[in-house]
Amino acid sequence: MTKQEMFDRLSAILQETFDIAPERIKPESRLYDDLDIDSIDAVDLIVKLKPIAGRRLQPDAFKSVRTLQDVVDALYGLMHDATA
Amino acid sequence: MLELLDRGWRVIATAIAFSSFGLGGLLLRLVYFPLLQLIVRERARQTRLARLSIHHTFRLFIELMRVLGILRYDIVGAERLRRPGLLILANHPTLIDVVFLISLVPNADCVVKAALARNPFTRGPVRATGYICNDSGAGLVEDCVTSVHAGNNLIIFPEGTRTPVDGPMKLQRGAANIATRGPCTITPVTIRCEPLSLTKGLPWWKVPVRRMHFTIVVRDDIEVAPFLAGAGNEPALAARHLTDYLHDYFSTEKPAHAGA
Repeated sequence: MTKQEMFDRLSAILQETFDIAPERIKPESRLYDDLDIDSIDAVDLIVKLKPIAGRRLQPDAFKSVRTLQDVVDALYGLMHDATA
Repeated sequence: MLELLDRGWRVIATAIAFSSFGLGGLLLRLVYFPLLQLIVRERARQTRLARLSIHHTFRLFIELMRVLGILRYDIVGAERLRRPGLLILANHPTLIDVVFLISLVPNADCVVKAALARNPFTRGPVRATGYICNDSGAGLVEDCVTSVHAGNNLIIFPEGTRTPVDGPMKLQRGAANIATRGPCTITPVTIRCEPLSLTKGLPWWKVPVRRMHFTIVVRDDIEVAPFLAGAGNEPALAARHLTDYLHDYFSTEKPAHAGA
């Protein structure tokens, strides 16, 4: 899966689960400050990302995540670790 | 002249009341709770008795403030707070809202600021009652749901802190998440204080022009099922809609500042 595909999946989750308008979803959007994703939502988001990564995700892997691009990068990194 | 005397007395009375509160907390911690732990061995029974003790202590404290002439109050529907397993949500205009609510709820559980579990005057009661500490992070919502399902009456102020005097009310989504993930029916309570006092940032000795009058009303329960259905059973989304609903619900209760 390419990073663009991942971003599209992430975008779909944000719209369905948190009712976020598509025009607010950009790679540089910050989860907390721009999209109002709080710590409770973050737990949900990680659960929903699991099928994309194809394995269990440790919340620790997302500790330093601020923007949507960070989420995609973290996911991409995890998948490549898994297949390496 | 009489007005000035009345106001002066209420400053002294508030000092007496607040000192009693601190001393009471210290006494509970140093004398009462250690004795309780000595006599009652079973942890669950200890917690239940500790909560009941706080309930009666707060009832006494409210009566003290009434007798001293600091405040008056009207309470409507208090008997409905005695049903077990409630999620009680209230607006939060003043410092003593939680004292009022716990004085009405014998088996209250609440979420306590972690700092109060370290404060020497509040540490004893906070630990003995096993109130939920807000430092547990992501597990907090789960802990709250467990508490309600266990039959406790959990008191939450969805604003997270006292309502700002100027500027709009802002609700955190935690309370709504507890309701949609439980799922737990909500028992809303509205608190009104006129003239408004003991607000965030106002020092305790700035007493209002007139004696405070509290009006506390236990409203009809709010079911969460319609919110879940409207959000395709997605609790996070339902919690957003519910938070908006609660915001409108409680905002109508926010009175204009009386201006002391």
